[in-house]
Amino acid sequence: MILRVFNWLMIVFMLAPLALIVWMSFTPTAMFRLPVDNFSLRWYREAFNYPGFLNSFLLSARLALISGLLSSALAFFAAYGLVRYRIPGRAAREGLFMAPLLIPAVVFGVAMLQFVNGIGLYNSFWALVIAHTTIVTPYTIRTIHAQLRAVPEELELAAMNLGASHAATLWRITLPLCRRGVLAGFLLSFIISFAEVTVTIFMTGPAYQTLPIRIYNYLTDQVDPTVVAISAMLIGLSLALIVLLDRAGGLKTLRRK
Amino acid sequence: MRWAPVLFVAPLAVVMALGFVVPSVQSVLNSFHPNTPSGIDGAIWTLENYGKLVDSFYVGILGRTLRVSLTISAITAVLAYPVAIYIAGLSGRAQALFLLVYMTPWLVNAVVKAFGWALLLASNGIINRWLRAAEVIDVPLRLMFNETGIMIGLVHGHFVFVLLPLWAALSGLDSNLRWAAANLGARPWSIFWRITLPLTLPALLAGVIINFTLNMAAFATPALLGGARAPVVSYLAYETVLVDLNWPLGAAMAMVLLAITLALVLLSQWVAARGKRRVMFEGTR
Repeated sequence: MILRVFNWLMIVFMLAPLALIVWMSFTPTAMFRLPVDNFSLRWYREAFNYPGFLNSFLLSARLALISGLLSSALAFFAAYGLVRYRIPGRAAREGLFMAPLLIPAVVFGVAMLQFVNGIGLYNSFWALVIAHTTIVTPYTIRTIHAQLRAVPEELELAAMNLGASHAATLWRITLPLCRRGVLAGFLLSFIISFAEVTVTIFMTGPAYQTLPIRIYNYLTDQVDPTVVAISAMLIGLSLALIVLLDRAGGLKTLRRK
Repeated sequence: MRWAPVLFVAPLAVVMALGFVVPSVQSVLNSFHPNTPSGIDGAIWTLENYGKLVDSFYVGILGRTLRVSLTISAITAVLAYPVAIYIAGLSGRAQALFLLVYMTPWLVNAVVKAFGWALLLASNGIINRWLRAAEVIDVPLRLMFNETGIMIGLVHGHFVFVLLPLWAALSGLDSNLRWAAANLGARPWSIFWRITLPLTLPALLAGVIINFTLNMAAFATPALLGGARAPVVSYLAYETVLVDLNWPLGAAMAMVLLAITLALVLLSQWVAARGKRRVMFEGTR
C-alpha cells in the first residue's frame, strides 16, 4: 500500500515538469500562469511565426534522420559480423562501439569543437552528422545485435545452399528477419539525436542551431510563452516517437540490458 | 571469404575511429599545449593548463560537481528501490506501462525538461506562488540557481538508469528465497536487509555508476537550473571554450572530469568484485 502510493508520487514527479509545460502552453496571456478557464492557441501561432523555429526543427529532423540511417545501416553490418564470425579483438571492437556511453559528453563536445575546426568543417551540417552518428551508435548496435542473435543461422545457410548469393541472403533473409531490431535501433537513434544537447552545443555555429540549442539560446536570452508552446510540441513529438519505439519492441531490448 | 568478417565490421569501426577516437585523442594532446593569441601552439609541450586548475576556484567547482553528482546518485538509489520493488511485483502489462512512463523523461531533451522545472521552481514559479497563496511562506524559497535546482533536475532526468537494472534484478530474484526466510520466521524488514538487498546490490551499484557518470557529464540541466551561481565543471568548460576561447584549458578541464569519472567507475567495480568474492567465499564455508 505504501509502495503503491509512493510509486504514484514518483510518477507525478516524473511527469510534472512535462505536463505543466503542455498545460501552460495554452495560456492566453503573456504571463507564465497556468490557465484555468481561458485557453488559447495564441503562443502556437507565435511559435510558427518565429523564424528560427521551423528552420531549427527541420535541421534537427534532417540530422536525426541522416545520422540515424547511417548508424543503423553500419551497425547492421557490424552486428552481423560480430554475431556470425569469430573476430580477433572482438572485445576491443565492442568497446569501440560502446565508448560514447562511457566518455562524458562534455569531453566529447570539447574534442569535437577542436576536431571540426581542424578539418575546416566548423559551422557545417556534416560536422553534426559525424558527431551524432557516433553518439547514437551504442544504441543502434545494442538493439540490432540483440535481434540478430535471435535469427537462426540455419535459415541463411539454407538460402545459400539453394543458390542465393551471400548479398542476396543478407538482403532477403537476414534483414527482413531482424527488421524490428533495425527499426527499433533507428527510432531510438532518431530520438537520442533529436534530444542531444551537450555535444551539439559545443559545435553549433550560428547557421546550424538544432532545435534544443535554439531553445537553450532563447531561454538564456529572453523568455515568453512562445518557448512554452515550442517545448509542448517537442514533448508531444517525443511521446509519439516513444510509443512508436515501444510498439517496435525497442524498449524491451534496453530493459533487458 | 576469409576477409568477410573484417569487411562487415570495418565500416562502422572506421567511422567510430575517425569520428570518436581521433577527436578525443587530439583533445588530450591539445590539453598539453599552451594557448597563444594566435591559437594553439602545437610545438610546445607544457603542463601549464593543468597547473592553472590547481587553484581554489577550480578545485571548489570540481568539489561541487563531485558532491552534487554523488548526492544525486544516493537520493536516486533511495527513491528507485521502493519503486523497483513495487513494479517488479505487478503483472507484465502494468510493468511495461510503468517502465515506459519512467523512461519518458530520459527521451525528452534536457533543455525542455529543465525549462519545465524552471517554471515550477523559480522564485515566482508555480511552487512558490502556491505556497505563498496558502500562506505557508512569506519569502519565496530559493529552489533554483543553486545546488538544489541541479539536484532536482538530475534526480528526475537520470532516475531510469538506476531503476532499470534494479527492476531487472528484482524480477529475476527467486521468490522462494523470500518465502523460505518468511517461513523460518524472518520479519519483512530483515528479509529486505538480509536477502533482497544483498542479492540486488550488484545491480544497484551498476545503476548508480551509470547515474553518477551521467551526473558528472550533464550540461544543460546544471546550466539552466544552477547557472553561473552554482557552476559545475561542464558549465565551466563550456564558458572557457566558447566564451574565453581558451581551448587547451577547456580540454584540460574535460580531461580532469574524464580521469575522475573513470577512476571512480574502476574503483567501484573493483570494490564490487571484491565484495562478490567475499560473499562466495563465505557461502562455501
